[in-house]
Formats: sequence, structure tokens, C-alpha cells
Amino acid sequence: MNWLIYALIFWLASWALNVRIANSAPSRFKSILVPMLFGFSLLGLWEGLVSGFNISPILLPPPSMIAARFASSLPILWEDFVQTFVKGALSGYFIGCSAAFLTAIAIDRSDFLKRGLLPIGNFVAALPIIGMAPVLVMWFGFDWQSKAAVVVIMVFFPMLVNTVAGLSAKNEIQNDLMKTYGAGYWQSLLKLGLPAAMPFIFNGLKICTTLALIGAIVAEFFGSPIRGMGFRISTEVGRLSLDMVWAEITVAALAGSAFYGTMALIEKAVTFWHPSQRS
Amino acid sequence: MKNMIKGAIAGAAMLAASMAQADDDVTLQLKWVTQAQFAGYYVALDKGFYKEEGLNVTIKPGGPDIAPAQVIAGGGADVVLDWMPSALASREKGLDLVNIAQPFKSSGMMLTCRKDAGITTSADFADKTLGVWFFGNEYPFLSWMSKLGLKTDGSAGGVTVLKQGFNVDPILQKQAACVSTMTYNEYWQIIDAGLTPEELVVFKYEDEGVSTLEDGMYVLGDNLKDAAFKDKMVRFVRASMKGWKYAEMHTDEAADIVLENDASGAQTEKHQRRMMSEVAKLTSGSNGALDVADYERTVQSLLQAGSDPVITKAPEGAWTSEITDAALN
Repeated sequence: MNWLIYALIFWLASWALNVRIANSAPSRFKSILVPMLFGFSLLGLWEGLVSGFNISPILLPPPSMIAARFASSLPILWEDFVQTFVKGALSGYFIGCSAAFLTAIAIDRSDFLKRGLLPIGNFVAALPIIGMAPVLVMWFGFDWQSKAAVVVIMVFFPMLVNTVAGLSAKNEIQNDLMKTYGAGYWQSLLKLGLPAAMPFIFNGLKICTTLALIGAIVAEFFGSPIRGMGFRISTEVGRLSLDMVWAEITVAALAGSAFYGTMALIEKAVTFWHPSQRS
Repeated sequence: MKNMIKGAIAGAAMLAASMAQADDDVTLQLKWVTQAQFAGYYVALDKGFYKEEGLNVTIKPGGPDIAPAQVIAGGGADVVLDWMPSALASREKGLDLVNIAQPFKSSGMMLTCRKDAGITTSADFADKTLGVWFFGNEYPFLSWMSKLGLKTDGSAGGVTVLKQGFNVDPILQKQAACVSTMTYNEYWQIIDAGLTPEELVVFKYEDEGVSTLEDGMYVLGDNLKDAAFKDKMVRFVRASMKGWKYAEMHTDEAADIVLENDASGAQTEKHQRRMMSEVAKLTSGSNGALDVADYERTVQSLLQAGSDPVITKAPEGAWTSEITDAALN
């Protein structure tokens, strides 16, 4: 009972504090503090409710237990992170996004390909991942190669559609200007087409960061070596070590956010000229 | 007035009817999808053995992403079927699972290997790739390997372990030298896929002395303190064992009953009839009561699992003969 009261008091206190900070003069430090405080108050509430209602850790472990497990299993978490994120997700992401980018340029070049390749891209995107993953495991083996292949399939279409849309973003007047300069196709693509497409391309890249991580984790459910985030999650659920499952979820959330954030930073540097980046 | 009397009579009739049908509800969570591995329960349901005991039994099929222990912890079932290693491991995690009956006397678990991968005895495992099921099914394998002194982390001189999906592709495609199989299920998938028994070497956990108890009935210890629940379980175990013994005597009929109850429609008659005759070999040695010697052997094998034992100390109160004593008299 005490736990419930503590949780409630903690929640209300941090809420009141947040309201005060939010209403005071804005600063850079405060704009980080407010969401942090909100996150901590949620964790505090979680801890208090789980302890207060005596919820079995098999169903929902408290954050303190997850943190302890996280700290004590760093080597395992790192091994899983390398296997799933660095080997599976990142390599698949690079292969898939580059392939989609090159395909998009080919599509932009020729109307024939546009009518032929886009529907195929659409078709690949519609393939259910839980149907494709076991097939790809059979083709590419149990290690990270098959996981990368799943990621390629997942990221290809969103990247393709965004890049194709980006490459058609330039307008006729700009095209005419390039023509009056006597620019050839590649010159016009480099100086006009790609820069104009950048906001769209980064849109695709950002969407694909999270898709890549999801694809790499889910693909491990269908056969894997005995390491990797997806393997660990599915195995530890069976062993009722839900604290370990949540520790892996934390790693996935941190990795996914960092990956997305990195892409957003690169976007800011590359498309500084775009109205959405000027504030 | 007339209508009111009519209504009252109808109400009384409905009440009487519902009282006559006031069977006790029992929900059973299976460990895997509907198949002849669980024939005894489906036979008991279909033949009305549960009904005779005044029980209204619901059978929930399992699947690759369903852990029976988690289902019972969340209140989704009264009884679950589980393998003892995973049940004892859950017990150490703080879930008070108690074995009330053990219809499977023998283990059906095997490691099936290709002869052309260079395996004839268990001494040939070193530096080979072996397929294993995880999700709580890996414990018997881990304790066997630790008994053989083989590391499972992929280091030289040990074995490389693959998390095998729920099919036998890795051995067909030579991605693994051996895969885990059950005598009644996956072994026959390999045979159906075209490999002959002569091309295979089979290591039965039973023969290697590392077998653990499979498919026992488990309930929460707290519930057993309730006399009404206990009485329900006595009737449930009695009817279930009647179902199992009937299934052993009439394997083809039992397999057909399982097929009728398979809502997924994924099972075939040939496979289920074959499975039922293999399962009958495993259940025929048990009358439902847990053999203490088997229990001790399971515990010892799990405790000895080398540097990474499945359980760290001998469990207490992990089984009770109370239910089977009352049910089987």
C-alpha cells in the first residue's frame, strides 16, 4: 500500500515540477530537462505500481530489476548488439538503401523502367516478413547474412518510393535553366536533381532506420546462431527471464533512437538550405 | 398475470437447467499445437469422460510463441502441460508450479544426425553444428552436452549450436550435422523428406541416460490449498488418464479424434496415426502417477549441468502425489 502512495506522490511532485519549469523562461537545458523528468516520473510510477500491486516479475518486472539485469549482463548485450544491429541491421540497411537509391535513379532516367520496376518494388514490399524470413534463412544460412537479406527487403521499397518522389521534385523552370546552361544529364542530376531530392531521400533513410532494426530482430525468431537480440528475446521469454527481455528491449530502443538521431543530424548538415531546417 | 406466471415458470426452468449443467470449468493449456501428442485429453473430451466427472474442460492449443508457464502465471489456464526442466526452471524464477500427474513415462526426445556428416557415436559431436530448440526446450540438451564435457559456445573442441526453427530443414540442407527431433513428430518429417533410416544415426535421450520428464500436468501451488480446486483436479486427472488409456488401446480412433479437433486443419491423417502409435509407447508405462525415481533422475541431470546449471538447488514441493493418489484408487 505504501508503495502505491509513494508512486502517486512521486508522480504528482514531478508533474508539478515539470509544469513550473515549462512555464518559466525557456532555455536549452530546460528543453532537455522536461522530457527527462517526464520519463523518470513514468519509471517511478511503474516501479511503485508493480511493487504496490505485487505483480509477478514473470509478467512485468520493475525498472530497478531491469536496470540491475542490464548492468550485470553488459557483455551478453554487447555481443547481441553487434550480431543483430551492426552485422544484421546495418549491413542490410546499407545494401537495401543503396540498391533502392540506384534503382530510383534508373527509374528516373527511363519511363520504361518506371512503369516496370515500381510495381515490382510494390510487390516486394507487400511480401509478409514472417513468410519471407524462414525462406531467406533457408537460402542464406542461419547467421547474420539471412537477417541482412530480410532487412534489405524491408527497407528497399520505402527508400525507393521516397527517392523516386524526390527526383521528380524539381520543376520545369529549374530544368529549363539547366538546359540553357547546356548541362548534360549527369551534370543536371548532380547539381539540381539530387539536391532537390535530398529532403525526400532523408525521409526514406529515417523511416528505414527503425524498419531495419525491427526486421533484423524479427528475422532471428526463425532460426539463428545462439546470439543476437531476437534470439535472446525469444529464448528468455521461454525461460521466464522477463528482466533480460526488457534489457534487450532497452538496447533496441536506445540503438534505434541513436540510429534515427544520427540520420537526422546528417540531414540537418546536408539540407541546411531547406526551409524546414531554417528556424 | 398469466404472462408473469409463464415468465416465472420459464425462469425456474432455466434455473433448473443451468443447475443441472453446473459443471466445473477447467482450462487446459497445451504445450504445442493440436496433435496426437495430446490425444488423451482430446479423447477424454470427445468420449465424454470429462463430462462424466462433472467437468467442463476447455483445451487451449499452444504454439511456437506460447510459454505454458507464462499462461498459468497470467491466469489464462488452470492446468498446463510442460516439460519438467522448464517447469523446474520457472519454479526457480518464483513461479510455484507443482506437478500433479505424469502421463508420459518415457522421453521422446532425440538428436538425429546424418551419417555422411561423420557422426556415428556421441564422441563425434566435437566441432560439429547441432540444431536445438530453445524457448525452454533447450535444457535437456544443455545438460547432456555438459555431461559429455562439450562446450556449447562455439569454441574449438566444443559444439556449435543453432537455434533451429520448428522444422527439420537444417539437416536436410546440411546446415547442421544433427537436429533435435521427437520420436513421434520431427523424425518422421525427415523420413518423409526423403532421407532413409539407414542414412541417419539416432541418439535417444532415454538411451543416453539424460532423459527428462516430458508433458506433465502442472498447477499453481496456491490453488492446491483450495479443497474445491483439488477435488476438480482429482476428477480431471482421473478422466484424462482414462482418455490416455483409451487412446493407447485405439490409436487410429484417437488420431481421428485429434484431427476432428484440429481447428487449424494443418494435420494429416497419416502423420497423426503414426504419431499416435509412437506416443502410445511413451505413455504406456505410466498410470498417471509420477515415478519418484524418474523425478530424482531429472533433477540430478539438471543440477549437474556443468558451469551453467539449469537449476541451482534441488527443488522442494515441486510435485505432489495427493491428486493421483485420490484419482487412481
